[in-house]
Amino acid sequence: MPTVSIKGLRKSYGSIRAVDDVSLDVEPGEVFALLGPNGAGKSTVIEILEGFLHRDGGDVEVLGVDPGNRHQQRWLRTRIGVVLQELAVEPFFTVRQVLERNAGFYPAPRPIDEVIDLVGLSEKSNARVKTLSGGQQRRLDVGLGIIGNPELLFLDEPTTGLDPAARRTTWDLIRTLSSEGTTVVLSSHYMDEVEALAKNVAVLARGQIVATGPPSSVGGRDHGQVTIRFALPEGVTTIDLPVVPTEFDGKEVEIRTDDELVVLARIVNWALERKVALPGLTVTRVTLEDIYLSLTHQDKDGSEVKP
Amino acid sequence: MSRPEATEKKGFTGFRDVRLIVHQLGYEQLAFWVNKVGAIFTVGFSVVFLVLLGASAGTSRIPYLGHIKLVQYYVAGFIAYGVMGACFNNLAINLVVRRETGLLKRLRLSPMPTWVLLAAVFLSTTITALVQVVLVLGIGRIGYGVHFPRSWPAFLIALVVGVASFVAMGVAMSTAIPNQESAGPVVSVIFFVLLFLSGLWFPLKANSGLAQFANYFPVHHLISAVFAPFEFIPGASPWAWHDNLIVAIWGAASTVVALRRFRWAPRRS
Repeated sequence: MPTVSIKGLRKSYGSIRAVDDVSLDVEPGEVFALLGPNGAGKSTVIEILEGFLHRDGGDVEVLGVDPGNRHQQRWLRTRIGVVLQELAVEPFFTVRQVLERNAGFYPAPRPIDEVIDLVGLSEKSNARVKTLSGGQQRRLDVGLGIIGNPELLFLDEPTTGLDPAARRTTWDLIRTLSSEGTTVVLSSHYMDEVEALAKNVAVLARGQIVATGPPSSVGGRDHGQVTIRFALPEGVTTIDLPVVPTEFDGKEVEIRTDDELVVLARIVNWALERKVALPGLTVTRVTLEDIYLSLTHQDKDGSEVKP
Repeated sequence: MSRPEATEKKGFTGFRDVRLIVHQLGYEQLAFWVNKVGAIFTVGFSVVFLVLLGASAGTSRIPYLGHIKLVQYYVAGFIAYGVMGACFNNLAINLVVRRETGLLKRLRLSPMPTWVLLAAVFLSTTITALVQVVLVLGIGRIGYGVHFPRSWPAFLIALVVGVASFVAMGVAMSTAIPNQESAGPVVSVIFFVLLFLSGLWFPLKANSGLAQFANYFPVHHLISAVFAPFEFIPGASPWAWHDNLIVAIWGAASTVVALRRFRWAPRRS
C-alpha cells in the first residue's frame, strides 16, 4: 500500500484552480519530490496531505487514513513530521526548550540529544532561537519535523534561502532519514536538489502534474534529445557534412538527435577520413532544467512563455 | 503497513490530555516570562501606576462616590486593569504575532489537540492576570492600607467573569487585525481610550455623559464589578450583578466572533 495516495485532487481559491486533478502515489521509504515554480500548487498539495487545508474534491490517503477526517487527524499527526516554509519558532526559547516542548506532544518522541546531534546544533543547544543564523533556524525546523519520530516527513522547500554548504548539510540529513526508513515528501524548485535526493518526482505547473517519474527519465529525458555541437572545420561547408545540421549560425554546427551513437560515429569517422578537427566538440543530454522549463512553459529568465 | 485500528484513532486518554495541558501551560508561561521586557511592562504597568497614582492621591476622597478614599478606588481599578491588560491587550497582540509569524500554524500541525492549546493559553493568561491581582491587592494593603475585599465570593465571581469575557474579547480582537506590525498600536489605542473613558484614572460621575457612554462598553462594568466586593461604601451590595451581566454579554458576543473568524495561518499566505 502506498504511503501517500492521491487521486483526482482538486482545490480552488475563488476562481483560481490551485490544484487541478492531481493524482500520484508515494511508496513507503522513498524520497518523493514535487517540483514546480512558485504558485504551481506544491504547498497546497502538501498542506492538504498534512490535513491543514480542506480539499474540494478527489481521494487522499496518508498512512492509510484520510487527512481531511477530523477524527483521524490526531492519530495522523503523531506519525507525520512537517517542516514548513518560513514559520517562526518562539524567539526567546533555547533550541533545547523548543525541542523539549514539541517532544511532549508525541507519544514516542526521538531523544532530544539525538535530534540536536542529527541536525548539527549541538553547540547551539542552549542558544536562544533568535540568535541562530538563517541556516541554523532551518535546521531547527527540520529538528522539529523529526522530533516525533515520524514515519512520513513533509519538507516544504527545505533549502530555500540556504547557502550552498547549508544545503549540502540538509541534503545529507534527508539522506540519513531516508536510509532509516522515513518516507519523505519534499517540494522544491531546485533541479539539482530533486536530482540529488528524489527517487521519483512529479513536475507541477498551474496546479497540474505535467510529468512524473524518476528524475533521470522524467519528461523523456533518458531517450532522445542529445545535442552535438562543434565548430565547422576550415574549408568545409555544411553540405560536406555526413549529417544535416539542425542549426547552423555560420560558425557552429548544432545537431539534435535521439540516435546519438550512430550520428556521432558518422561524424567522427567522416572527420578522421577527411583529416579535419572538430573544434569544441561537445555532446550534451537535455538537463532536467531544460525539461522543467519546457514543461512548465518558462524561459530561462523565469518569466512565463505562452504554451 | 496495516490500517490503524479504530480504537487507536480515538486518540489518547483524558489523563494524557490533562498532562499535555500542564506541559503546554508551562511553556506558555515560560514564553511570557522569558521575554523579560514584555513581562515587566505588562505586569509592571498596573503596579507602577497604582504606586504613582496612590502617592499622588494622598488622602483625597471622592465626594460623589460615598466619600471613599481615591486610593481605594484605584486598587479596585487596577485589579480590573490587570485582568484586562493580560486578557485583552496582551493576549490579542500575542495571538496576532503568533498567527502572523506562523507559530500557531506550527502548533496546529502538531498532534496537540486544539482544545488543549486553547486551555493552556487560557490558563496561562489567567495566571498572568492573577499575578497582577495579587500584586495590586498586596501593594494596596501594605502601601496604602486598603483592606482586602469584604466579600471574597463576589470578588472571585467578578474575576472569573472578567477573565473569561476579556479573553474572548482578546481573541475576537486578534481576528480583526491583519498584521503583526499594527497589532500593538491598534490594540493599545483601543484599550487605553476605553480605559480613559471608562473611569480608570478618575471615577465617573453617575449619569454624566461620559458615564452613559462608558455604560455601553465592558471596561467600566468590570471596574464596578471588582469595586463592589470591597464594600468601601457602607451598606452597598458586594454583588454587582448588572455589571457582571454586561461584561458576560460582551464575552459571549466575542466568543461567537472568535469562533467564526479565528485563523491559524498567516494572512500573507
